[in-house]
Amino acid sequence: MTEQEIIEKTNKVFEESFEIEKDKLVPTAHIFTDLGLDSLDIVDLVVALQNSFGVKIRNEERVRDIRTLQDIYQFIFTIKKEEIDKKS
Amino acid sequence: MSFKRVVITGMGVVSPFGNGVSVLMQGIEQGRSAVQRMEDWDRYIGLQSLVGAPAEVKDEKRIPRQKRRSMGRMSIFAAQAAEEALVDAGITLAQEDRWRIGCIIGSTMGSAKSINDAFEIILPNKDLGQLNSTMFFQCMSHTAAVNVAQYLGLNGSIMAPAAACASALHAIGIGYDLIRLGRQDVLLCGGAEELHPTVTGSFDILFATSAKYNATPQDTPRPFDKDRDGLVCGEGSGILVLEEYEHARKRNAVIHAEVLGFNTTANGFHVSQSNKESMVACMKQAMNDAGVNPGDIDYINAHATATIQGDQEEAEAIRDIFGTSVPVSSLKGYIGHTLGASGAIELAASLTMMKQNVIYPTKNLKTVSPDCEGIQHVLQPISKKISTVLKNGFAFGGINAALVCKKF
Repeated sequence: MTEQEIIEKTNKVFEESFEIEKDKLVPTAHIFTDLGLDSLDIVDLVVALQNSFGVKIRNEERVRDIRTLQDIYQFIFTIKKEEIDKKS
Repeated sequence: MSFKRVVITGMGVVSPFGNGVSVLMQGIEQGRSAVQRMEDWDRYIGLQSLVGAPAEVKDEKRIPRQKRRSMGRMSIFAAQAAEEALVDAGITLAQEDRWRIGCIIGSTMGSAKSINDAFEIILPNKDLGQLNSTMFFQCMSHTAAVNVAQYLGLNGSIMAPAAACASALHAIGIGYDLIRLGRQDVLLCGGAEELHPTVTGSFDILFATSAKYNATPQDTPRPFDKDRDGLVCGEGSGILVLEEYEHARKRNAVIHAEVLGFNTTANGFHVSQSNKESMVACMKQAMNDAGVNPGDIDYINAHATATIQGDQEEAEAIRDIFGTSVPVSSLKGYIGHTLGASGAIELAASLTMMKQNVIYPTKNLKTVSPDCEGIQHVLQPISKKISTVLKNGFAFGGINAALVCKKF
């Protein structure tokens, strides 16, 4: 999965699940202060990301460090890379 | 101790005819039926009744996402009905003592669709990890009351009586008591419910639904009719603004009616069968609470859902008290049985009839069943000066409720 695909899929989650307009989805956008998510939304974000990327991240401590969209892109990229490394 | 007077200053409805009290009344005035054959319901094995009276979810995106995410269909209906009721009452929440305005909204249970969806998600793999954060808030029994309170930002008493088809009348009765005792100034009271094959199924397995009219859905339900064969489920919400009289007077509110009395009784003998004796007691005690006699009642809005036994018991109960002296009609033939919402939706319609001095007939009542004779059935619209109405609501569990309202 390329970085661009990760960005597109993640942004789609924000558009569809959280009804956020496309032009607000910039990498530096803070998911709480800029995009208006709250603690309940984070639970739904995790479920949506799990379904979109086929990963299990519900008990991942690193989710707590996510603040911006760029953090999510990077986190998913890292998780996917770890999966590949594990398999090889 | 003297009780405070309680008046109704606002009404809001989402019904199978659409959003708004005026839309509901238009459908009734035109004698239309909102009942239709439900697509895909025949995939449920054993479901005999394939008809329903659905309401449309519309304009829901006007509710901000973070308020809407905890709402199932019924809570969206309730929020929209509550908003209409508040506008109708002319109340600006910011100008009120926020600790003295709340809502009492009942239902049989939480959102039927959400409950079904939750189990569809959980059960195949016993996996809780796929549940979203707000599913529980859609499923819980007090979902409509909580969601209305959150949406409007209410801080007063929030309660949610669950009494199946008597839920809305219970909510109004509780609200009436809280205001007349001086505990609250304003309460949005009513009920909400949603249509789902599993809801119709709960009546269907007891042979209480209409199953003979799947090909001609608009001919059913048929309250008090010789060819009635059961109820048809509907959905929606009805909310009424109950207000302490002096509070309403000070702000020059338009008053739709005064709540004069309420009562609820139980039959104490059978979980699903209605019982005339406890219905009679309920209506009599409601009139006693209201300080009126049977001769003072100008119109009875019956519960009459078109079940074989329920209609007979209600007709006999009304006959024992009123004989043929008071016009009686049921609105279930127009919008189906909106269950926990029915008491409030039908009260809003009854109060509008009172305002218009007209009584609309029982739709689909063509030939009065011999077991429902002896009361004054309304078969055509009647022009009549109405000052006092009696609204009945009965429920599974042997619960009865009756409310008396007077034109102000």
